[in-house]
Amino acid sequence: MKVLVILQSLLNVIKKELSQTMRDRRMLSTLIISPVLQLVVFGYAIDLDVDRIPTVICDQDGTPRSRELAQAFFADRTFLHSGDVLEPGAAQADLEDGSAAAAVIIPRGFALLVARSDAPEVQVLVDGTDATRAQVAANAASQFLLTQGIGTEPNVQPRAAGASLAFRVMYNERLKTPVYMLPGVLATLLLNVTALVTAMGLARERESGTLEQILVTPIRPSVLLAGKCLPYILFGLVDILAILLLGNLIFDVPFRGSFGVIALGSFLYLFSTLGIGIFIASFSASQQQAMLGAFGFMLPAMLLSGFMSPISSMPPWLRPFTMLIPMRHYVEIMRACLLKGAGTGDLAQQMIALAVLGVGILAISVARFRKRLT
Amino acid sequence: MNRAFRRTMAIAHKEVLHIIRDARSVYMALGLPVVMLMLFGYGISQDVDHIPLSVADEDRTPASRRLSEGLVAAADFVRVEDLPSADDAEAAFRSGRAKAVLAIPRGYGRDLGRGLPAVAQLLVDGSDGTTATIAMGDAAGLVQATSSGRAARASLTEGPRVRARFNPGMRSAYNMVSGVIVLILAMVASLLASLTIAREWERGSMEQLFATPVSRVEIVVGKLIPYTGLGFVQTLLVLTLGSYMFDVPIRGSPVTLFVSSTLFLLAMLGTGLAASIIAKSQLVAVQFAMLGFVHAGRDAERLHVPHREHARVASRAVDGCAGPLLSDDPTGRAPQGQRARRSCR
Repeated sequence: MKVLVILQSLLNVIKKELSQTMRDRRMLSTLIISPVLQLVVFGYAIDLDVDRIPTVICDQDGTPRSRELAQAFFADRTFLHSGDVLEPGAAQADLEDGSAAAAVIIPRGFALLVARSDAPEVQVLVDGTDATRAQVAANAASQFLLTQGIGTEPNVQPRAAGASLAFRVMYNERLKTPVYMLPGVLATLLLNVTALVTAMGLARERESGTLEQILVTPIRPSVLLAGKCLPYILFGLVDILAILLLGNLIFDVPFRGSFGVIALGSFLYLFSTLGIGIFIASFSASQQQAMLGAFGFMLPAMLLSGFMSPISSMPPWLRPFTMLIPMRHYVEIMRACLLKGAGTGDLAQQMIALAVLGVGILAISVARFRKRLT
Repeated sequence: MNRAFRRTMAIAHKEVLHIIRDARSVYMALGLPVVMLMLFGYGISQDVDHIPLSVADEDRTPASRRLSEGLVAAADFVRVEDLPSADDAEAAFRSGRAKAVLAIPRGYGRDLGRGLPAVAQLLVDGSDGTTATIAMGDAAGLVQATSSGRAARASLTEGPRVRARFNPGMRSAYNMVSGVIVLILAMVASLLASLTIAREWERGSMEQLFATPVSRVEIVVGKLIPYTGLGFVQTLLVLTLGSYMFDVPIRGSPVTLFVSSTLFLLAMLGTGLAASIIAKSQLVAVQFAMLGFVHAGRDAERLHVPHREHARVASRAVDGCAGPLLSDDPTGRAPQGQRARRSCR
């Protein structure tokens, strides 16, 4: 009997919450349309592929051999020929004012040295402002010049003797950015919908005093909390579907895994983010504080989740803390499932981590919130 | 004129009182940039290293061992496990144990000894594009250098010299601090501004304000002023901390930095206010404001905007901030953001 009463009151709260949200058209649009919009713009805007690096050539030799080198440098699309300068000083000036990100300086006498099988000295300057780009540029340049070095004798093929390494990119052959970014974007958007909106929603009720009014009714605080949060799980799921669909249609994000794994992972993730939302709300006296608190969690979480910069590059003392971030596990699950077709067996560790985190955070935050309410 | 100024200041004063009374918000607004700075500076790194590597050595000769050990020793790989065969690579990738698998086929050592081409394969996990690109770049440069040909050895000694300007150590911290400054300014300014007007709508005090002689312009300007001040405090805080803790230099002109920061701050505050005016509730205002700056954050991470993007206020300011911060020119060139888009990638 009691269970029925509880379920009934839960349903009532959910109905109230849903009708409140539905009536606010703007709210509805931000919950559903905004994540979609963000995905589209984000997907097109972000292009982390390092290529077409604007490069100037300072060819002080001016021989056919040096021109050949310069042309070969741009053969793959890593570097983009953005200009020629006459002397190294001008190349440095170009780097400084940003019109080029790399400069190749071929010294006078280059062709002669090559013809004599002597070692020519080619200098490559790279703009270090962006470390990733600089690293990739430096590696590409070194690799290219080493290849050229090996090929100083015209008859020697670079691969004739010695070891070489062939590369194969798995799961995302063209290394397209939106494909591997989508899981992280999805996690962030879900965090926004469930944690931020929940926290602010709860804080709003507290601000306007309606929370106390509801508490006067026979409803249990935990049922109230559950009822307020469940609609947002629904919205979260709708968002996931929309984003996965759009990701597939627009950005060719594959869907190699099973729907069940994705559903399970998403549910567990949503539980943890809801818990975080409630936790933040329990600390906030106003919507502004709730918002700042939510962002105060979201931003570090995004960084630590490993979707923008790899966890393996983080200092050893920081890595254990990333286990506490639900986003990290969710991004791993989604990446593995969408791109690699992983199943529950492969992802057991992440699923369990999410479940533990979810239950833990929810328990703590509900307990805290109830204390604040009573 | 004088009265208009006084009315604006009155609104600003009221706003300042609101801010001070909500001390917790101020702490969070100031603390968030500091936390992010710490994280970026100490924790996050775009320098990719410690890449987990599994080795599937089907050859098991000294030559193959030399290859795998050489790769691990010199490049940024960490050997996590040995796989019996290359077929196990997929399982390693799926479970996330490894981001790269070195597959050395049987006969590698023999072919090498006979002077035949000996090809090993490096499989990289494309679901983490950043790591994959760097891993391939590192490995490629390395193997060329360790191949045992006379020609290769000759080129090792006078290998190409690659110098990174502005950031000789290629420390990603320099990039990050400039990026972080912009990111935090954008976000907190925009968010806080987005809440102010929406809050007045929600409480009903906006209609009361309309009943007073204060004009709409005065309301908007008056509300902007305290948040601009807050933004300055944040910028100063992050800049000072950045230079002390991470030795990020400020080589350019402080004036340029100041001016571009102000302009950018005003722009982001404007975005937030616009969001606030459209949305009558704080919740919705925040969502709208987020749409405005979400790209500032992404761009700031990488400081590069593809030329397809139009009029991104944030990226201009990022150039403006990074320029004076890092350029050698003491006179401080015009904020780079004003340059044509093609200067960015």
